[in-house]
Amino acid sequence: MRYHIVLRYAGIILLINAAFLLISGIISFWQGDSGFFPLIYTAIIAALFGVFPFIFVPSTEEISIKEGFTIVVSSWILSCLIGMVPYILWGGEFTLTNAWFESVSGFTTTGSSILTNIEALPDGLLFWRSTTQWIGGVGIIIFALSILPSMGKIGMTLYRSEISPLAAANFRYQTRETLRIIMTVYVGLTIVETILLMFCGMDLFDAITHSFATIATGGFSPKNLSVAHYGSVQIETVIIVFMILSGINFGLLFLTFSGKAKTLLKSTIFRTYLIMLFVGVTLVAINIHGTVYGEWGGTIRHAAFQVISIGTSTGFASADSTIWPPFSQMLIIFFTLLCACSGSTSGGIKVDRIVLFWHAIKKRITEIQHTHAIVKAKIEGLTIDDDVLEASLLYIILYVGIVFISGLIISFLGVDIMTAFSASAATMGNVGPGFGLVGSASNFAGMPELGKWILTGDMLLGRLEIFGLLLLFLLKSWK
Amino acid sequence: MGIRAKMFAGFLIMAVMLLIAGAWSIYELNNIGISVQKVLDENYKSINAAKSMIEALEREDSAILLLLLGKREEGRDILRSADEAFQTAYETARSNVTIPGEQERIDAISRTYDRYKTLWSRPIVETAREGNLDWYFREVHASFLSAKLAVQELMALNDTTMYQTASGVENRAHRATMPGIIAIIAAFVFALIFSFLINLFIVTPIIRITSGIEQYAESGRSFDVKVETRDEISKLASSVESLIARSKK
Repeated sequence: MRYHIVLRYAGIILLINAAFLLISGIISFWQGDSGFFPLIYTAIIAALFGVFPFIFVPSTEEISIKEGFTIVVSSWILSCLIGMVPYILWGGEFTLTNAWFESVSGFTTTGSSILTNIEALPDGLLFWRSTTQWIGGVGIIIFALSILPSMGKIGMTLYRSEISPLAAANFRYQTRETLRIIMTVYVGLTIVETILLMFCGMDLFDAITHSFATIATGGFSPKNLSVAHYGSVQIETVIIVFMILSGINFGLLFLTFSGKAKTLLKSTIFRTYLIMLFVGVTLVAINIHGTVYGEWGGTIRHAAFQVISIGTSTGFASADSTIWPPFSQMLIIFFTLLCACSGSTSGGIKVDRIVLFWHAIKKRITEIQHTHAIVKAKIEGLTIDDDVLEASLLYIILYVGIVFISGLIISFLGVDIMTAFSASAATMGNVGPGFGLVGSASNFAGMPELGKWILTGDMLLGRLEIFGLLLLFLLKSWK
Repeated sequence: MGIRAKMFAGFLIMAVMLLIAGAWSIYELNNIGISVQKVLDENYKSINAAKSMIEALEREDSAILLLLLGKREEGRDILRSADEAFQTAYETARSNVTIPGEQERIDAISRTYDRYKTLWSRPIVETAREGNLDWYFREVHASFLSAKLAVQELMALNDTTMYQTASGVENRAHRATMPGIIAIIAAFVFALIFSFLINLFIVTPIIRITSGIEQYAESGRSFDVKVETRDEISKLASSVESLIARSKK
């Protein structure tokens, strides 16, 4: 392992962070708020650390999978570390633990917050908070690749660690083209949503920060009441549309916008994703009608927003779903575990693996019925290898196991069961709000310190698709 | 980039980190000083003046009770000195209006005190008011309480502002110390990276070149040392290589 190569590429990530910190600092300077020095100082430190490896380490064209993987994982962790510095420097509610929690929550696009009064933060710091999600959303590594001078094999090596296996099959391009696609779709969606939100009455700052959080399926809002602050059906509708779009594989989205909408409509994953959301919204609407909301209009509005917000791992809130009936809460917890499609910015187990899981069950049943038959699982005409099915099943089991164990540890710390397990599922799925004390209308401030550290571990595990983070600790035994 | 420039860049980066942290800490410490002075100037003087006014009011209340008991001389003496003390404290507070809403409270003090003073300025001893506790409770004591309440409101306003400023000072103290802590941690991490890179790109190649020369000198093995960087070390390696090649001829 050539650690100096890792240093050089991690330096690029730090430079990207430094650039966004600088923009946030300029906003603070413009507003004359107290976020200026913390942001600028962090930008300088990030830039100095980022530039230094370039002075010593010569560029290289070749990079091993192991090195590429280490660059990806260390970039996430480094970004989270540098991202917490402006929070610590600013003070207020940000202790060491809280700053780490907020930073990890941002970069992993989770959207869980420890802030009891978000609006007390200066504008520059609020912008940085949203930016962390935007950077994290597209994957810091993809960002880095778009400016890396040496692409070729290096790109794909790094890319493999970032997106789950099925998503890769959807891209039939070279890495450079793939990155161009992702950036075009990502930036395009952000701009369009910002404009639409401004048309609906939001000011520029709120529109940008909400767009950042929507496209990244993050959920950080600069308002204490999240999207409920605006009480606007138009704003909620725009956000719902963009949350659904952000949960779709970005390659498929690009094809759709390029006039090849058939590809999207033919996609089993996409259809399953939409059907699941539709069924979820319908069931929740039926359940809360009459018990929480009297009119069908309000019922459908809040059911759609909350289910889609959680189902796409965004985590915005238009209402307090902790007061909804248990059936609706259980359904939302199901979506907390599931989330959207691979190749999008969402977290969770993902619809792709649920489809694979379903095909694995069908395959097993057929094998039992026809003991001598050689049965192969097929999706959209593509034969799925047994090891892919096995890997998906293993991932689901491991995922649920980690949620259970971390929930168990948090409940041991004195937190009630609903809060502990929903917090664990919400952070592992990079969703944001859970239920109980960490519901959509509250925050994670009351969580024990150790609990916050466990939950940040869940966020990183979820974002790096479990194996990504675990393998970092097993580098020496990785041949 | 040459070794000298690389080393200089490394030390310069460390120096910049510490310099900015130091400058920021000085700026924040200076602000703490300003905030403390602000607390003293804006709030402490007014709080002290309010305390003196309350004390003067209470002395006046006692003096009125003496007058009710028929002790004219003692009562009037106390009233005179307490009134002087009240006026002095009131002037201090009036000339130190610095907080929004403070002027309204000063006006309220003036209004309520004037009403109170009118009551006890009139003769009490050897009039129908002497020994008239009903008059005292109905008019004098009620006036005394409203004047005292007005002064207490001024004190509460200054207390709240002082608390807010003190909280701000606490935050500023945090901001003064944190850059230093971050700079120390960053400099430490940077020193480790710097040392790692110096070892990798300067020390290790020198060891390899030395070992290559020794091996050539001892056993005549060919000198084959590859250096990744394009600096003095790579020039040294190629010079040694060409020297050995020339000596072989």
